[in-house]
This record gives sequence, C-alpha cells and structure tokens, in this order.
Amino acid sequence: MYRVQLQDFEGPLDLLLLLINRNEIDIFDIPIAQITNEYLSYVELIEAIDLDGVAEFIYFAALLISIKARMLLPSPEQDEEGEPIDPRQEIVERLLEYVQYKNAAETLDEQFKQRSLLFTRGEASTPVQSMMSEEEILVKRTVFDLIDTLRDVLENAPEEPSITITPQKYSIPEQCEYIREAVFTQEQVSFGSMVSGKTRYFIVVTFLAALEMAYSGEIFVSSSPAGDDFVIERAAGPTITG
Amino acid sequence: MKQNTFDSPVTLQMVLEALAFATDAPVSAKEVCRVYAEVVGEANLPSEAAVEEALEELNGSYEIGGHTMRIQYWAGGLRMTTTESVAPFLEAFFRRERRRHLTKPLMETLAIVAYKQPATKAEIDAVRGVDSGYALRKLLELNLLAIFGRAEIIGRPMLYATTERFLEEFGLKNLDELPNLRQAEELLGDAAFNEERTRLFMARGLEMGDGDPSSTSSESTSKT
Repeated sequence: MYRVQLQDFEGPLDLLLLLINRNEIDIFDIPIAQITNEYLSYVELIEAIDLDGVAEFIYFAALLISIKARMLLPSPEQDEEGEPIDPRQEIVERLLEYVQYKNAAETLDEQFKQRSLLFTRGEASTPVQSMMSEEEILVKRTVFDLIDTLRDVLENAPEEPSITITPQKYSIPEQCEYIREAVFTQEQVSFGSMVSGKTRYFIVVTFLAALEMAYSGEIFVSSSPAGDDFVIERAAGPTITG
Repeated sequence: MKQNTFDSPVTLQMVLEALAFATDAPVSAKEVCRVYAEVVGEANLPSEAAVEEALEELNGSYEIGGHTMRIQYWAGGLRMTTTESVAPFLEAFFRRERRRHLTKPLMETLAIVAYKQPATKAEIDAVRGVDSGYALRKLLELNLLAIFGRAEIIGRPMLYATTERFLEEFGLKNLDELPNLRQAEELLGDAAFNEERTRLFMARGLEMGDGDPSSTSSESTSKT
C-alpha cells in the first residue's frame, strides 16, 4: 500500500505555528497546557490515520509535555545571572528560527518565479522542463485544515456494526478511482458529500486517496469558507491514471 | 591586430554587448576585460567595476529604447535574457505548460542551506523539525546543492552548499545578493507581539539569531 508522507506537506513546527496563530497567542508567552492539549489532539488523529512521518510529531509532543511538567515545578535551572530559565525558551527559539527560514523560503520562491520569466539563449539557459512541475502540491491551505475536516466528518460517521470481521474493503487506488469518477462527472465535489453516510474506514481511505491525488497534482483541494468541509476539484491538464 | 587606442570608436559597452550576443554561454566580466584589453592595448585593461557600469548603462538604454532584451549578471556570468513583459509570448512559443515550481520542503531546505552554508543535514533537520533526507537528495539531483566536504566533527557529516546553478536559477550574481533574512519579530506581526515582553525575554538572553551571511545585500532582483 502506498504511504502518504506527511512531511511532504507540513511538519510539527508548522502545526505549532498554526495553533499559535489561530489562537492569537503571544509566542513569548505560550500557554503550554492549552497548546499541548490541542497539539496532542492532532497527533492522535495523525497516528490514527497512520500517516508516515508521525515520529517527528511525537517527538515534539514529548517535548511539549516535558515543558509542561517543568513549568509546574519550581525552576532549578538558572542562567549565568542566576535568573530562572523559562522552560519554554527552547521551543520559542526553534519556532522563531523556523519562522525566519520559512519566510526566506517564500522570498526565494518569489525570486525563483520572477527569474523563470526571463528567457536565455543556448547554453546560457538551463534545462527548465526537467524541474519538478509534476510535484506541484495543490493543497491550498494546510494539511491540518484537511485533518480538521476529517475529524468533524468522523465524529458524525455511524459506528461500524460490531462483531463482523470483514477484510479491508477499500484500498487507496480504489478510492482514487471513486474520486476520479466523482470529479469527472461534477468537476467539483465536496468531501463531506462524497463520504456522507459511509463508514469510518471508507472515510479515512477516501481522505488518504484525496491527499495522494492532490500530491500527484491530479486534483485541487481547497477548504470551504466555513472550514468544515473541503472541495475537491479536477486539476487542469492531463490526467495521470494508474 | 592592434588598433590605435586613442581614436578607437568601440567602447567597452559595445564589446560587452557583442560578446553577450555572440556567445551562447555566460561570459565572465574578467573575460570581457581581457578581450577588450587584448584588442585596444594592455594599457587600457578595464576594471570589472567598469564592466558592471557599462552593463547598467546598456540595460538603461535598452529600456529607454523599448527593447525586450537585457544583459544579466548571474552566477558571475554575463548573458542576454528577455524581459519579464514578453514572458507570456515566449511561454506560448515554447509551450511551457506550467511554471516551474519547487515544493515547500525543497524550498525550505534550500533556503536553510543558502543562508547557513556550509550546513550539515542535522542542522537543517533541526530548523525544520522533520527529516530532510529526501529534500536534500532531490536538491542534489537538481544540482541546486552540492556536497562541499565533511565537517570536522564527530561522524564527519557531509556539508551541503549551494551551486552556481542555484545562483543562475534564482538570478543572483553571488551569495551576497541573497535577500536579508528578516527578523522573526517583524514576521510575526505586531498584533501577536508584545514589545514589552520581548524586551524582557531578550534581557533574559534569548538570542534572535541573525544568520544572514552578508550585511551588504539588498532586495534587488533582476533589472527589468
């Protein structure tokens, strides 16, 4: 089975920044308990749907929990001037550094795009076609928005009938086909409508199939304005099958 | 075949233009100087700064004349390019379907190496909080990064640095032209930011780490 690589989308620091921004938190005064709980709720779900790359999320979860524990104890750690060290310092430093490089990456990306508008001649040009267009990721917001959606949908999903032990009925390739058919006929479908009334297993596999297809550039995925669902659209251009 | 230096009607600007036009590989400023002096006499060896000045003037005159070519100075090499304004037509002609694009993990990894270079994988992973092995392999494959040697620390990890191709693809003359790294405070925006608290935090010794390799760079990109 193909495994979706979570780190192709976002990492644990992205998730922390998202939570900080969403809650309008001052980065220098992070309410660790609150953030840890929110963070863990995402990690649980990431674990449940078994995306690859969850190890790094768990590492940061452990870090958050250890900070939370240290915050509760009278601080034995002091800096050279005898001031107590804020246990949150390490994570703040890492977040700040990451923000800096994230921004640098965006600036460079802009520069890259500008530069590619200028055409050169002969050997002065570089083989441009070879560069990556097939790897364009079309998820407009973050993968965490998608996970939010998944959580909401899962909460409303009917429980599987107990006792019955059935072999896994759905596979990612099959669900890709299911999505392909849906966007072929309608061009634009909402994830919620595609999976309403279906079992949890069906929903999760369909979700993974959608991520997979967004990654391969076959579909566009964007959050609905209300944020409680997302819309799947057929991407322009040739469709990759298989 | 030496010409009389005093009444030579050919300026450095003209030589630069002719070379950029006639060669289809990048020409270094040094080469322009050498060629110029070889013809008009060693006594008139121009400086590289003079070449850059001539380049500015030339591009200025192209712009005034409404022309669609410019001479760029990327990765230490002079070459002719078209302007941004005609890009849609060239894209249509070459049937370039989608704009080139590097994925977010690749761009982040590249940015970290660009500003920290030479950098080890461990340093890059630490900033991103995730494993960068795949991104590094891909960037090596694309020849945007190269292995620069090994660090003299335990395990002798490989050191990554950007390549000439990187400068070319990003339209930079050299690494000094990388845009300044912006301070994190600036980026987080004022709303989420409590100045008072920052000062307190700073006083406690939190370093904001300005990893910028140069202090002279500006936000200049290509001149169009």
